[in-house]
Amino acid sequence: MPYHEFECSKCIPERKKHAVVKGPGEDLTHALPLGYLNTIPGSISERGCAYCGAKHVIGTPMKDVIHLSHGPTGCTYDTWQTKRYISDNDNFQLKYTFASDVKEKHIVFGAEKVLKQNIIEAFKAFPDIKRMTIYQTCATALIGDDVDAIADEVMEEMPEVDIFVCNSPGFAGPSQSGGHHKINIAWIKKKVGTVEPKITSDYVINYVGEYNIQGDQEVMLDYFKRMGVQVLSTFTGNGSYDELKGMHRAHLNVLECARSAEYICNELKVKYGIPRLDIEGFGFEPLSSSLRKIGLFFGIEERAQAIIDEETARWKPELDWYKERLKGKKVCLWPGGSKLWHWAHVIHEEMGVEVVSVYTKFGHQGDMEKGIARCEEGALAVDDPNELEGLEAMMTLKPDVIFTGKRPGEVAKKIRVPYLNAHAYHNGPYKGYEGWVRFARDIYNAIYSPIHQLAHLDISKDEIPTGAGFQTAKMLSDVNLSEEVVSSSILRQYTGKYDSVSDLRQKTYPEFKQ
Amino acid sequence: MSCEIKQKERVGTINPIFTCQPAGAQYVSIGVKDCIGIVHGGQGCVMFVRLLISQHLKESFEIASSSLHEDGAVFGALNRVEEAVDVLLMRYPHVKIIPIITTCSTEVIGDDVDGVVIKLNEGLLQEKYAGREVHLIPIHTPSFVGSMVSGYDVAVRDFIRYFAKKDKTSEKINLITGWVNPGDVTALKHLLSEMQIEANVLFEIESFDSPLMPDGNSVSYGNTTIDDLTQTGNALGTIALNRYEGGKAAAFLEKEFDIPAIIGPTPIGIRNTDTFLQNLTRMTGKPIPESLVRERGIAIDALTDLTHLFFADKKVAIYGNPDLVIGLAEFCLDLEMKPVLLLLGDDNLAYPNDPRIQALKEKVDYEMEIITNADFWELENRIKNEGLELDLILGHSKGRFIAIDNNIPMVRVGFPTYDRAGLYRHPVVGYAGAIWLAEEIANTLFTDMEHKHNKEWILNVW
Repeated sequence: MPYHEFECSKCIPERKKHAVVKGPGEDLTHALPLGYLNTIPGSISERGCAYCGAKHVIGTPMKDVIHLSHGPTGCTYDTWQTKRYISDNDNFQLKYTFASDVKEKHIVFGAEKVLKQNIIEAFKAFPDIKRMTIYQTCATALIGDDVDAIADEVMEEMPEVDIFVCNSPGFAGPSQSGGHHKINIAWIKKKVGTVEPKITSDYVINYVGEYNIQGDQEVMLDYFKRMGVQVLSTFTGNGSYDELKGMHRAHLNVLECARSAEYICNELKVKYGIPRLDIEGFGFEPLSSSLRKIGLFFGIEERAQAIIDEETARWKPELDWYKERLKGKKVCLWPGGSKLWHWAHVIHEEMGVEVVSVYTKFGHQGDMEKGIARCEEGALAVDDPNELEGLEAMMTLKPDVIFTGKRPGEVAKKIRVPYLNAHAYHNGPYKGYEGWVRFARDIYNAIYSPIHQLAHLDISKDEIPTGAGFQTAKMLSDVNLSEEVVSSSILRQYTGKYDSVSDLRQKTYPEFKQ
Repeated sequence: MSCEIKQKERVGTINPIFTCQPAGAQYVSIGVKDCIGIVHGGQGCVMFVRLLISQHLKESFEIASSSLHEDGAVFGALNRVEEAVDVLLMRYPHVKIIPIITTCSTEVIGDDVDGVVIKLNEGLLQEKYAGREVHLIPIHTPSFVGSMVSGYDVAVRDFIRYFAKKDKTSEKINLITGWVNPGDVTALKHLLSEMQIEANVLFEIESFDSPLMPDGNSVSYGNTTIDDLTQTGNALGTIALNRYEGGKAAAFLEKEFDIPAIIGPTPIGIRNTDTFLQNLTRMTGKPIPESLVRERGIAIDALTDLTHLFFADKKVAIYGNPDLVIGLAEFCLDLEMKPVLLLLGDDNLAYPNDPRIQALKEKVDYEMEIITNADFWELENRIKNEGLELDLILGHSKGRFIAIDNNIPMVRVGFPTYDRAGLYRHPVVGYAGAIWLAEEIANTLFTDMEHKHNKEWILNVW
């Protein structure tokens, strides 16, 4: 597994150890890219900051909370309305964001007083919300404001409110990952164990590292509820502040994104002895085996199996319809952190695509270990990619589609590579059985888009077919398929609704005896 | 019955209307050819601004970061600037201009960016890049001062101050557009071309709307060159359309090189476009041609179809960049509408003395409020808790939920407008902009009438 040197990065030799190609028969002991090191300045890396890792990724999905950033308005404004973590309380956390609006005079004389005024104003504006998280930013961390002291003062004066303080200024670490860590640790230290939750089942879990992107959490909760498992809290998507204070009473921590939230699971294990079970909501097999593991842990395997059977029967023919048409398509799997290993093997196995490259913006070496172990031979693995390396990789590997963020997706568009949003999804949710079919559907639609085909033609040079007024994705995808597949009576295209989540909110569940 | 101007009473911000200064400077930097800025601060200050710009324009732009980490915050991070300049120059051989844009963190720790530029000019650039044209421009944009609007203003001035030279006389004028869209630049250049006026348009951002080419090699970037910036010092005169976004640069050129400056008005609506054309005539001596009389006529014809029947007395709230908001308010008044609430998202002390705001204060004959240092709660709270009734909201996408949740029709205008397709392609300035705005407003009201079954049958015949 030799290191891969990008042409564009030859002049910064320290980059060489950040990329490897997985060679035939090689294992991870040969080489592993470096990870989670300081960014090379001026490299046009895609990384964000520790503030956004704390506030934007993990903090804000908590739904019943005033999210107040202590600093100038920019940090708040820039991270607002750039995510798709919805909630079942009309998306309060998506709609409202708060900044203490620190100005020059506060930088000079201190911003604690203005912070206190802010807190009071915010609670007054939203009298139904009694919970708040305050995020430190670069400016107020550097002037040394004691945010905890102000929060304590307010809580003493307003006993009905509860405030959580997260000290994670933008500069605190090489990437957003530093912020994930800080908010995990702060939450367990300051808040867990301060509420005694009501236990209604013999099987009680926390669902951790799940951010309810386009409704992922609600899909997974549906399965847990069908199994009679009580979900005490979700850290943090669609999660409630007070429920998360009662995390210590769970019997099991079910962990999804181990990159951003393993810290709190590990601490819950140390402090309260709650075991950690890593699961995967993506992909039929990983999801089925995850549900089975939870069932096994509680001795209710048959409940898990009933769901697996039902869901597989309902959705597998639709997944396979896409798999037949996606076989051999080349994918660059370029997410932020955990999806690199959540998706690497399962999109290959269940959708037939070839992962030609993986990268991670803020992952650590552990994420790379898992990702490289799971992806195909010959795949290029890159840590902390930058603009030129991404372009060079796409030019060399010629993928049929890439999964990445919104802005890098625009870069791909220009070199005629279709993209799917790996962070926020195109038309998700992507978790769950139906969600996985939606993902396959989105990949199919991206690759076989008739407009995408047109983008490759040069009207001034190429022979342009003039006989056809249109083409459909199916005309393009089915041209080389066998008659058996094309006219299969079993396989079918996705049949779900545009919104697959809202109905779940009205659903009722069987009562299991305790 | 009067117009009142006041600052928001609360100290905090609930849903900000503006982001901070470095974002404005970054927007300027992408308008310049062979230029990649380095933002000296945390990585989020760049990553999210690049995302914001790509949300608005559906394109990606290159901006670098010095990637301030903890050690730099404690011990100073000028070494990160030095390394960033070197890395950027090595890997981007076409780059000639690197603005170094400060942020709150690096201003608080007191990094001497001007000093490091001198050091780099005397050291690295001579030793390693001898013979290569490189310009390092420090731009101070602490986030706790002003807003993205003042950041834009400061950056335009700093670019011009760095490059402008007076070495010959030129018939060209400088046209500083302010923070506009590619569609606006196209509309402005069209007016100039009809008047046969040669202008140095700052910034040449029509190319932000870039094609997807069969060779797969197109990149979105601005086209203002070093020569364009240098020539600003030789111009016949400067017209800065926006007082708060480019006004500083016009004033600088006037003071430094005696180049006469006309600042404003933003040519939104018929009247302000008329003034703009008159100003062009005044500056260049070129007459307004028949073709523009005709174009103006087409616009007035279009507006006449809409005003009394649909627009009269409609109550409007407008928020966003100050020149845009004031221009839109003036246009709404001409369209018989009633702008009742204007929200300006920063605390610029010049607003109350702005002659346009003074005019509103003196002449508006109904209740109008102008709030400075405003946030979105100033709008939402009035609707939800204080009984403000609105027929229309004009503003950018960050306020979208106020319109959605309160069932108020909204026309997206300004920056950013990411929740509607292709708006950057359409002008709001000039006669073309007047038509587009008025018809966009009308069609939005029509859709709302139909959606709410509110006299939708009126549209059967008009």
